[in-house]
Amino acid sequence: MKPGLAGLALLALLALPGPRQALEASMWRHMVLQFPLLLLAGALLAAALPARARGAVARWNAHGISGLVLAGVVLAVLMVPRALDLALRDAGVELAKHAALLLAGAALRLSWRPAGRVVQGFFLGNVLPMTAVAGQLYRDAPLRLCNAYLLDDQARLGGWLTGLAALAALGWLGRVAWQLTRPEPGSP
Amino acid sequence: MLRTALLSTVLLLCGWAAAAWLTHGFQAWTDESARPRAVALHPVAAPAVPVQGPGVAAATLPALLAEGGGVTIADFIYTRCETVCLSLGGSFQQLQAALRADAQAGAAPGVRLLSISFDGARDDPAALRAYARSLGADPALWRFVRVPGAGPQQALLRRLGVVVVPNGRGDFEHNAALLVFDARGRMVRVFDLAEQQLALDYARHLARGPR
Repeated sequence: MKPGLAGLALLALLALPGPRQALEASMWRHMVLQFPLLLLAGALLAAALPARARGAVARWNAHGISGLVLAGVVLAVLMVPRALDLALRDAGVELAKHAALLLAGAALRLSWRPAGRVVQGFFLGNVLPMTAVAGQLYRDAPLRLCNAYLLDDQARLGGWLTGLAALAALGWLGRVAWQLTRPEPGSP
Repeated sequence: MLRTALLSTVLLLCGWAAAAWLTHGFQAWTDESARPRAVALHPVAAPAVPVQGPGVAAATLPALLAEGGGVTIADFIYTRCETVCLSLGGSFQQLQAALRADAQAGAAPGVRLLSISFDGARDDPAALRAYARSLGADPALWRFVRVPGAGPQQALLRRLGVVVVPNGRGDFEHNAALLVFDARGRMVRVFDLAEQQLALDYARHLARGPR
């Protein structure tokens, strides 16, 4: 299947009331499953962009900076606990959340390679500590931060966020280390 | 590069604006802390849902709130609750004691208490009567009602921003707060459970009316 079609299919599936409610019924599924799946759908859709559109985007996206700024901003705003509650009871916010995550996924796809290690490192250096700290707060908060979710759900989400942020950091650092220590092709 | 810088700046500003809107100017990070601000800015009219309760003659919630032209401090409870409703009950007992002291001091009565059950299926008028008795509620000051019918009850909770989540052990988690209604049946302020005195003073002030 072409990535564009796969992206559309995934988006359609996520937008169906049944799967959407199932994902949003729990706080950790809302953030740790639905958010990344929407990012993935956006990334798949971006792969279907024609070359001309990519060129136009690239002119506004030197070194992938604009795209990573967009993704970072979207993830930061959606980490505010109120965003989750509002998405559940306000259709406009729910729609905006979906659109923002799709855009962020597309932006990540179009920007990651052009960004190079320095910009990637800067992006991850901002987003991952933010995620880990938010996760720690969610884990330690004695009160429910979202009216719609239970306290143990919130703590579980906190654990997931911190763990995933640590894993992503280790994964990226490991990959960079592997690339740097690999002998240059053609060198003796 | 210039275009990228421009676009990045615009994106950052958009993100800042979105966050400012979402958090009421970086004041309220959770929906529960945003609710009092939103209600204070835009009072919420109580929907005309039916109510039932021991000794309650009014048929709908706005009619009940309008009775006697006073101010009502309301909370949401369910009678089987063993957590936050107990502390709400304690708060309301203290509020009732303060209102009785007001009446004995000769102040015009103007503030009443109302506990609304969100477990309308179980909390019939008999259960509410027993619950009221166990809390020592004075029927003249503190009434108990349920909203019969799941549809109207959901409509009421939704309108007033009360979120009830079953916790999987047969009980409910809910955002507990003190809701102040004026005689026109509008929810004009929401106070945190810890702001009981503030809620009482505000209700007294509102009941005295403009001078």
